[in-house]
This record gives sequence, C-alpha cells and structure tokens, in this order.
Amino acid sequence: MTTPILELRQATKTYGGAPAIENVDFSLVEGEIHALVGENGAGKSTLTKVMAGVVGLTSGAMLVRGREVSPRTPLEARQLGIAMVFQENSLVPSMTVAQNLFLGQEKFYNRLRGIYIAAQQFLQSLNFDVTPTATVAQLGAAKKQMVEIARAVLHDARVIIFDEPTASLTPEEKKYFFDLVRDLKRRGVSVIFISHALEEALQISDRITVLRDGRHVVTDETSKFDRARVIQAMVGRDLSKTLYAERKAHARPPGERVLTIENLRMAPMVKNNSLSVFAGQVTGVFGLVGSGRTETFKIAAGVLKRDFFHGGEIFLRGRPVRYLTPAPAVRDGIAYITEDRKVEGFFETMSIARNVYMGLLAKLGRRRPFVQAREAEAVGKKWVEALNVRAIGQDVKVVELSGGNQQKIVIAKSLVQEPNLIIFDEPTRGVDVGAISEIHQLIDRLADEGNAVVMISSYLPEIMAQSDRILVCRQGKIVEEFSAREATEEKIMYAAIH
Amino acid sequence: MIAALRGLRDRMLGRGEASITIPIFDGALKPNQVLEGAEVVATVDDGNDLATDGRNLFVADGARILRIDGTAREEVARFDRVVTALCRMPDGGLAVALDGAEVLVRGGAADGRRWTEADGVPFRAVNAIACAAGGTLVATDGSTGRDCSQWTHDLMERGASGRLVALDPRTGQARTCAGKLEYAYGACAMGDEILMSESWRHRLVAVDPDRRRRTVLGRLPVYPSRLVAAANGGFWLTAFAARTQLVEFVLRETAFRHRMIREISPEHWIAPRLRSGQSYLEPMQGAHLRTMGVLKPWAPPRSYGLVIRLSPEGIPRYSLHSRVDGIHHGIVAAAEVSGALYVLAKGPGRLLRLSIADMEKDLAT
Repeated sequence: MTTPILELRQATKTYGGAPAIENVDFSLVEGEIHALVGENGAGKSTLTKVMAGVVGLTSGAMLVRGREVSPRTPLEARQLGIAMVFQENSLVPSMTVAQNLFLGQEKFYNRLRGIYIAAQQFLQSLNFDVTPTATVAQLGAAKKQMVEIARAVLHDARVIIFDEPTASLTPEEKKYFFDLVRDLKRRGVSVIFISHALEEALQISDRITVLRDGRHVVTDETSKFDRARVIQAMVGRDLSKTLYAERKAHARPPGERVLTIENLRMAPMVKNNSLSVFAGQVTGVFGLVGSGRTETFKIAAGVLKRDFFHGGEIFLRGRPVRYLTPAPAVRDGIAYITEDRKVEGFFETMSIARNVYMGLLAKLGRRRPFVQAREAEAVGKKWVEALNVRAIGQDVKVVELSGGNQQKIVIAKSLVQEPNLIIFDEPTRGVDVGAISEIHQLIDRLADEGNAVVMISSYLPEIMAQSDRILVCRQGKIVEEFSAREATEEKIMYAAIH
Repeated sequence: MIAALRGLRDRMLGRGEASITIPIFDGALKPNQVLEGAEVVATVDDGNDLATDGRNLFVADGARILRIDGTAREEVARFDRVVTALCRMPDGGLAVALDGAEVLVRGGAADGRRWTEADGVPFRAVNAIACAAGGTLVATDGSTGRDCSQWTHDLMERGASGRLVALDPRTGQARTCAGKLEYAYGACAMGDEILMSESWRHRLVAVDPDRRRRTVLGRLPVYPSRLVAAANGGFWLTAFAARTQLVEFVLRETAFRHRMIREISPEHWIAPRLRSGQSYLEPMQGAHLRTMGVLKPWAPPRSYGLVIRLSPEGIPRYSLHSRVDGIHHGIVAAAEVSGALYVLAKGPGRLLRLSIADMEKDLAT
C-alpha cells in the first residue's frame, strides 16, 4: 500500500449532541476499491458526506494526499478531486440527461446540440444505454443511477464515492457497472463503495471497512473476509445462517388460488401476461428492470390501468375485478408495498403514527370521515411495537428514520389494512441486514398465516431463500415457473435473459 | 336488456366472456411429462371407465368388463351394449351404465336393479357412477340431448342439460339432485356432499343434501372429467382435454359454429379431441404445426392428458401431464390400487400405471 490519497483521523460528527460517527479512522490509497459496509444508521453515509463536503467534521481531521483539508461544500470537495454519487437521486428531473451531465459546467453560450453529441459519445464510451436527449423524469431508477455515475466519471474525480450504486441496477447493468469500476481503478481512480449487497463488496473491493453504531469495527483485506465474518462484524451477531437460508426443504404447499391474471396487457410494458398466486405461499417474482413484473402487480392492485381494449382479465378468488384506483383493491384485501418508498411509500414529514393511520383510513374510507387522534396514536404504537421499529417515539417524522425502519413503516401502512394478498416490491432494497432479517421473518409469518404473498425482487439469493415458487418475468410476461426445489440461480437468470 | 347491453360492451372492448382469456397451467398444474413416461399396463381398444374394490382393478372395455391383475386380464361380465360408466359397490356388486341410457346393478344385494330415467326424464349420457352415503349411488348424466359419444356436439351446441342423479338400490328410486348442468361428468362423495365435475364450465361443484351448490374449484384450464377418492384423503381428478383460446373463440362465434357443425365432419371440427395428429385435415390451432416430423411442444393443444391430485378441500396439490407432443391424451378415468395409480388414456387406448410414492416424492411440494 502507498500513501493514502484520502485519510480521516479520529473523525467525529455529532447532530444535536448525538454522534453519527465517533473517532473513526479511515484511509484510502490510490487505485483502491474500498467497500464501506454496515447496518443502516452505522454512520456510512455521514462518513462519506464528510469526505464529499456535504457536512463538516465536529472533531478530527481529513487529509488529502497528506494535506489537511476541510471542504465545506461539494464543489470544494470536487475541486479536491472527490465526487460522490448519492443514494438519493440528485438529478434535476425536468432537465435532459445531457444537461444534467454538464450541470455546473455551463458556459455563457451553450450550444444544446453540442452537449448532446458530447453526452452521447461519453455515455457510449461507458457502455450506458441512456438517451442524452431524454428528460430525467422519464427515466427508470436504473437509468437515473447510470446518469449519476456518468456525471461523477465526467468530472474527472480522483476519488469517487458510490452510495448504494447497484440497488436499482439489473444483473446485466451491474456487470457493466463493475467493469466500469475496475476500469476506473486501472486509471488510478480510488473508489469508495457502499453497498448492502455483501456479495458485491466481497466481489469487487480490495479492502473492506465495517462500521457499527458510528464506530469503526474493522478494516482488512477483502481476501481475509467471508460473508459470515462481514455480517458478524456488522451486526455483532451471526445472521448468516438465517438471512439467505435455502428454502428447498421447507416449501409450503399451495392453498386456494387467490389471484388469477389472464392475458393481461398494458402496452408497452405488459404483454399478454398470465399467472396465478396461491394462499399460504410466498410467490417470488424475478425479472430484469423493464420486464413488466412491477407493472403487472400494480395493475392487479389498481395503481396502474390495463389496456382499455382487450386488456385481459383479473380474478380475485374467482371473481372478475377491474380496479381503476387502488381504493377498491385495498377494500378487497390487496396491499401493494411499493419499491420506491421515498416517492410512493410515505409522507416523510408526517409522524410514524400518522403515516400508519393513513393506511387504515385508506381502507375505512367513508367509515372514518374524521381523523381520530387517539386512534392514530394507538395504531401507531401497536405497529411500532409489532414491527420493532427503532425510533425515539411514534411522533418522530418518518424522514428521520433509517432506511430499514422507513421500510417497516411502509409495510405497517399496508398491513394495518389487514390484507390477504400482500405484494412486496423490492422489500429489502436499501435496507440493512438486521432489518432484512426482520422483514424476511415478517414475510414468512404472513404466508404461514395463510395469506397470499408476492415478493418481487431483483436479488437472487433473496428470491431463492424466501420463495415457495418462483416466477420469472421477461419482456412483459411470465416465461418460466420454478418450484423452490428445482430453482437454481443459473436457471432463473437464464430464463430472465434468454 | 342489461345483459344484452353488457354483452355488446364486452364484445366491443374485449372484456368478460369476449376477452377469451383462459387460465394458464401454473402452480400445482405446472406441466411435466409424468403421464407420458408412465408404464403402459394394457391396451384397451374401447376403454371407458375404471373401478376398484381396493385390491382388484376393473376396466370397462366396450361391452365387457375386465379384471386386470398385472398382465393377466379376465372377463368378469359382458353386456349387450357399451358400458359407459362403472362402479364397484361395497357389497361386491357392479353398477354399470349401458350406452348411457340405462344404469344396471349386477351382483351384490341389489342384483338386477335397473334405472332408465329420473324424475320422468330418460337417461341419455350417463358417464359416471359413484357410491355415496347410506348405500346410495350417484350418477352424472352428461346431457339429455346427446349420447356419450357425441360429447363434442353437446359442447359445440353449448348444451346445458346435464344432471346429477341419486339412485337408491334398495328402493329403486331415482331423483335429480342438480340439473341444467353444462355437461356433468364425474362425481364422488365428499362428506355429506357430492363433488361433481361440470366440464363445459371447467369447474368442480359440491352439491349438499339440500341440493345447494357451491363451487369448490373454478376456472380450470381444462375440461374436467371423473373424480375418485384417493386413499390418503382427497381426490384424483382426470381431465380429457385442455382449453385453448381458439376453441373458446369458436364457442363465442355462434354463426361460425353452426356452419361448422353443418358442413364439416365432426372429427375435423375446431373442438377438443381425445387424440390428435392423426390426419392432415385436422384444424391447425395457432402454432400447432408439425415440422420435420416433430409436433412443436409449444403449440396450443388440440388434445391433452392430465390428472390432478386434489386435497380433501379440493385444492390442487400436483398434477400429471401428457403435453401436446405426447400421446397419452384423453384421460377419462383413474383408480388407486395398492399404492399405484391406474389411468385410462382413451386417446391412444392405453391403461397406464404410476407409483404414487414416487409421485408424492417428486411432485408434492
């Protein structure tokens, strides 16, 4: 190892007296890929925000090439050669991809055609399939992420910090991304990589640093880590056997057919899709981004509408249904738990209790014309306890919670409606391992209680571990079904791609 | 009036019946090749039904009844007409349906008892007989307008004249338990109720002693046929053909259907069959093409073979298939004898045997 390009010594950052990170030592050498792992709330984001100039240190020192610095803004950090790709999207949705790429580098006179050509060439050099003239608002999560990454690369940073870069990428896109990171490494760029997917950290990084509760736990060569050691360091207990255990021997038999979808169409995403969902089982749905899996179940839950002409049929317990809005679907016992919790999942400035109560109001409709404060408090308290939400109180705003606890609130908001068909869309995306384990246990419990559970996930170990049967979606329709016994990652991936 | 307007709207928008959607084979009905790989025990040229007393297997083959033991076969009864349904009674008697028009008991306490009608309506297509509570028999009369062999005509005419009848061997009484059924085909006792297949509506219906009906299993992707009780609880349900969107479309197009009935030979109708691939005149269904001598396995089936294992509540647990490129099609009966499942594939005229223990190990979740 050579002289660190970036170093933090005894770094401490407090918010309102409470330390987010405390006496953390961290070093990054040139051309190194350094994975930073830890549960939500472990202090990873704070640490990287300090490096990127988003927040300043309360105490301790930050050094770039041995020189002490204290960047006060992201612009100052960028001038020091440090760029960050944030977990939350930082693009301007109303601007085009090219405009976002060159944001902050505008000249007095900007020739739009010129930046489109430059952006096109640059995106092609990265092998990113993104149209530079497209408005960012029109892009899916994966493509937005690509634009974020491209922007950091374009700024010619010597240190790039990726916060959960692969959360919304498909396996194919992840491969491109990893190739890109390795290419950056070859060019001498140092990369800090934050990810909850431990396989990725183990696969791509040179060193791993584990944080827990704002403190440094361990830094070591990746070759000296395995999955179990990382998890144990992260949570302080051994979860490796329970988190992604094989389901093969414990698959549940199908119960009554709850949902039947026949020849469903919603151009251009869903093409003649047919499937069934059974009670007492977890039906895992796997597919690449754009395969139509989310849209299919959003139609079933009334969030989207199928084609007006020849749009196919949906049967709920044998009864034909056609939901134009989610409200009647909720009343019929269907809960759709969104993949995009920040946009569709909750009201971030409202309290936990109010958010959960909102779910109940959606079910009760006209039977609750007025908000009843006491009932809201009671409902909030009940679900905070039931789902083990870690918060100071139920009056805390949801925005102040960690990703895992926010996800629990989104789930509680749906479960308070007492549904019997629960559709989880990417239930553990951006969630720490401790919360993943709890969410998995909850999914199991719901299926054991006889509910029909659908779990849409892009993470194969999760699909394999949780599903009693696995449906694979490709190009707008289900193309393959596997029982838990016969499923392998290779078979599922082959069906999803070919 | 409202129904007519709804029908018009559905035709315009492709909704409801006009959507011509059919459920897919998934979950417990996920296709496999188990039936196709089953052991062929015997060839029966005109097999119609199976029955068992728990130790022996009886096969209705044309006008005779055979007892099959391994490879040996023994004729135990012969009649003057084709046996269309067969049931072994607890007292050792055999209840048979002759040409679908008469039910007769041979042997046992009610030897010689006959029924030719119920509630004044003559039998026309009795296709299944089963023992029910209190020593009675139940039988399904598929149609009062068409014979058993003309089941395709009944489907294309959208017949709804089937019925479930209860027969009392002690008193000789016959009464209708359920009528106006769209081809009743198979019945079995389920507690106090009778579980019954209604083929053209692709469902299983339970009829209680007060004649109230409830759908136990609906929207099947097949035409269900006979039901028999399984030794470990639950049922075996056979299905003689799979539904296709083309047939569903033809069933909706009344003028086309009537013209097809008038002008085309029945074996070449666009309709489900017990066997297919015998003639180049058969209608092609979508991708149902033979290329280089191989029938494409992804083609929609004109004929199909399927047995479904049901739980005691009537929920499918697993299924045995012979797919479009197979030959063990037109499954009309099943019987469980000494840990083996015998299946009658009427399409190729074969009696098949499968080990239940092996199937439970391989297929049950």
